[in-house]
Amino acid sequence: MVWIALKMLTGDRTKYMGIVFGVAFASMLISHQVSIFLSIMARCTSLIRNVQEGEIFVMDPTVRQADEVIGLSDDDLHRVRGVDGVAWAVKFYRGTVRARLPEGGPKGHGDFRSVVLLGLDDASLVGAPRKMLMGSVEDLRKPDAVIIDEAGYFYLFPGQPHQIGQTIEMTDRRAEIVGICEVGQPFQSMPIFYTKYSRAMQFSPPERRLLSYIIVEPESGVPAPVVAQRIMNDTGLQALTKETFRWNTIQFYVQNTGIPFNFGITVVLGFVVGIAIAGQTFYLFTIENLKQFGALKAMGTSNLRIVGMILVQALVVGLIGYGLGVGGTALFFTLTQGAIPLKGFHMLWQVMAGTAAAVSIIVVLASLLSIRKVLVLEPAVVFR
Amino acid sequence: MLFRYGLPLLAFASMMFALRHVVIADQEPPKQPPPVEPSRTPFKSALAGGGVIEPKSENIAIGSHLPGVVAEVFANVNDEVEAGQKLFRLDNRQLLAELEVRQAMLESSRSSLEKLRSQPRPEEIPITEATVQEARVMVEDTKAQFARAERGHSSGAVSEEEYVRQKYAVATANAKLTKAEAELRLLRSGAWKSDLSVAEAQVKQAQAQVLQTETELKRLEVTAPVKGRVLQKNVRPGEYVGIPPGQALMVIGDVSTLHVRMDVDENDISRFKKDLVGKAITRGANKREVSLKFVRVEPYVVAKKSLTGSGTERVDTRVLNVIYAIETKDPNLYVGQQVDVYLDAAK
Amino acid sequence: MNATQPIPKSLSTAASASQFAVVCRGVTKDFGTGEARVQVLRGVDAEVPYCEMTLLVGPSGCGKTTLISLICGLLDVTDGEIQVLGENLSHMSSRRKTAFRSANVGFVFQQYNLLPSLNAAENAAVPLIIGRQPRSHAIAKATEVLKQVGLGDKIRSYPNQMSGGQQQRVAIARALVHDPRLLVCDEPTAALDGKSGQTVMELLRTVGRREDRAVIIVTHDNRVHHFGDRIIAMSDGKVESVTTGSQPVNH
Repeated sequence: MVWIALKMLTGDRTKYMGIVFGVAFASMLISHQVSIFLSIMARCTSLIRNVQEGEIFVMDPTVRQADEVIGLSDDDLHRVRGVDGVAWAVKFYRGTVRARLPEGGPKGHGDFRSVVLLGLDDASLVGAPRKMLMGSVEDLRKPDAVIIDEAGYFYLFPGQPHQIGQTIEMTDRRAEIVGICEVGQPFQSMPIFYTKYSRAMQFSPPERRLLSYIIVEPESGVPAPVVAQRIMNDTGLQALTKETFRWNTIQFYVQNTGIPFNFGITVVLGFVVGIAIAGQTFYLFTIENLKQFGALKAMGTSNLRIVGMILVQALVVGLIGYGLGVGGTALFFTLTQGAIPLKGFHMLWQVMAGTAAAVSIIVVLASLLSIRKVLVLEPAVVFR
Repeated sequence: MLFRYGLPLLAFASMMFALRHVVIADQEPPKQPPPVEPSRTPFKSALAGGGVIEPKSENIAIGSHLPGVVAEVFANVNDEVEAGQKLFRLDNRQLLAELEVRQAMLESSRSSLEKLRSQPRPEEIPITEATVQEARVMVEDTKAQFARAERGHSSGAVSEEEYVRQKYAVATANAKLTKAEAELRLLRSGAWKSDLSVAEAQVKQAQAQVLQTETELKRLEVTAPVKGRVLQKNVRPGEYVGIPPGQALMVIGDVSTLHVRMDVDENDISRFKKDLVGKAITRGANKREVSLKFVRVEPYVVAKKSLTGSGTERVDTRVLNVIYAIETKDPNLYVGQQVDVYLDAAK
Repeated sequence: MNATQPIPKSLSTAASASQFAVVCRGVTKDFGTGEARVQVLRGVDAEVPYCEMTLLVGPSGCGKTTLISLICGLLDVTDGEIQVLGENLSHMSSRRKTAFRSANVGFVFQQYNLLPSLNAAENAAVPLIIGRQPRSHAIAKATEVLKQVGLGDKIRSYPNQMSGGQQQRVAIARALVHDPRLLVCDEPTAALDGKSGQTVMELLRTVGRREDRAVIIVTHDNRVHHFGDRIIAMSDGKVESVTTGSQPVNH
């Protein structure tokens, strides 16, 4: 019977392709939009992801998300170091400064650009980029040295080949680009500059407190959440594990921006369109085959086997459509990896699984409608 | 056939591609060790703070008493100096000239005094004595003529007029003798006492002025207040130094033992105890760990200046300064170096 | 309901059960309920003997199709009883009826109802596959039957590549492939031209008139009446007359 079901399904190529591409379209729409949404959300937390050392971020208790920094006292670093279970703790600066491009820039004169400035602990360089395209992290120890990220280079020097040694001005001080790195992009596509903490103090606009974050590594064997809790109890500062901090940041964006809402609508639309196209085509396909099902019923096929046939058809259509859909999404992200604005965008396995669930629901809903139609079908219809 | 199996195969390949994408693209950047290992807390429960290395005597910033242009520098960086040893000297030409003027004035006043003291001049006495003798002779002479006149008067040989004239001539001669005798007495008694006092005072004043200039000359030379090492030198011949100077002209300190001045945050003061064991760790790649011995607590809690080295120093919190001595001699520790200090607060 | 009513005499006799493939007694069938209720069959008594070709004739709407639907167990009677191949359909569950059809009934439909995506052999093999026979065996058997109905050269052809007569012969092969004891044909010649209709009827007659088999053909095609061994004429929900051979028999 499975064989007959498949023959029925593939018999009419046009309808078959129609259903398959309906499902493929729906699954691509869903997986693609959710992936873009999650990738954008991931960009919100790129600051946290880019710091590959340590497990805890310590910050002012009022900080809600990663890009909103409130200065700590320099002494807080030592207070955190004194907490039981802290192996090491280092300074980390994050600020937005204005950089002035060299004369003879793209428009022939020195433009101003807002850039993200990250100050790394002078001694340990914790938080340094790991994937260097040119130069090395140790070059930060040279005078006036800064490292720019690849995308930032693209924004500041569009169309120019990678080259180091270019100078820019930050807060009226000279900065020399000694390296180009590849790191996760921030939410607002701004260039990222890495420099030493002490130099970041000179580049940053004057403020009383400038220490943005303290990055903490717990002693081996002590769970990070425990140490974070101890830091909070002992110092009154906010200490979050990277994981928690990331979720807090994402939550902030979800609650305070329209982005998730918009994407949510797109995903729902994808789902609805998926049901509309795939479901309807499949339903119509069953309706058109009603007479054949009636004949099969008349010839002694039980309802159970008819249901089995429809489910097999739905499963095949679902699998093929799903495969094509997620493959299309993967292809999209693979092809766009070269484009700086979409760099790092990708599909998560959770999205793939979620799409599978959504496609299952679409297919099951569609087949349920069809099954109902077939089950109430009087086999005597074949005589009319 | 191509259609029947082609589409499912394509779908399968497509799904595999998606799986591959998911596996490859969705890789969390792995946790990494820091490029340079940061200083780790050496104690289980620690009281941590920033610290700066300083000499046992603290840093003595040498200043100048007077403003002026530097003429000579005697001590160089890293020299061991004794207390009182000359470090540098300001230009003193003006004061030297002034000294000579004052010394001349002293000499002059001294001469005036001597002149007064040596009165009367011996050569003048015989002249005056001769005058007295002359007067006496005149008295004798007039007396004898009067006697003759008297006799002659009584005899009438001599006129009355002559007689009177002779009488008054005697009185005049007597008065002249008295005057000459008085003049001789005046000459013999020498200078007047009050004049002498004035002259003596003038000498003293001139002496004091010479001393004053000499002192000011000495003040142009700056000397080491204690025994120690020259840590920093900011003066060179020809430079002008003012009062107060903008920076220490020289920094000297006793580096026989190095101290660490540790900042204990005011929030942590309650955890601080005097007998805590401490360790200082230098910053950077080749970390050194030195053990510390408690010296003293500065009783005054000071406003902390951030040690970022930035131009504008910012008052952050207030900190308790605690002084620890570095027990081990280490040639790679320098005064002014920042260290991370950890005190064992587990006890 | 049937259980409370007295069973008609002739049904209870063993002789009549063995003589007839199908026996209907007082069969009524209503469609709809309440005001919209329509009585399509109003007490039909009819017999279909073995080894004969029975034609069911009558004008449109007289209830022929309803009657064969009841005989096949595709519909349930409102009243009365039907015995098919010795079994009382009223006593069967719907699942049992499905299995019964699968095993014992072959169908030939007016519109053939071939699956367009299957070729002739595959279409003819469907009843065997429903009967859970292995596919290769089923197709082999079907090919054999197709050769019997004269379509040896059309085994791999798809329905849209065949003429109506050929399609109907495939449908007949399908109806016969699992060797059913009862062959039910609904207007098998209605969609065919005269010559093809004659061929089909001849074929049905050849394969149907066998020991322990029965063929029911619903038709209003006058041209094929002479193929019938027995003609049951219906009118307005009732059996009007039964003709055996060329002689009408009054009931």
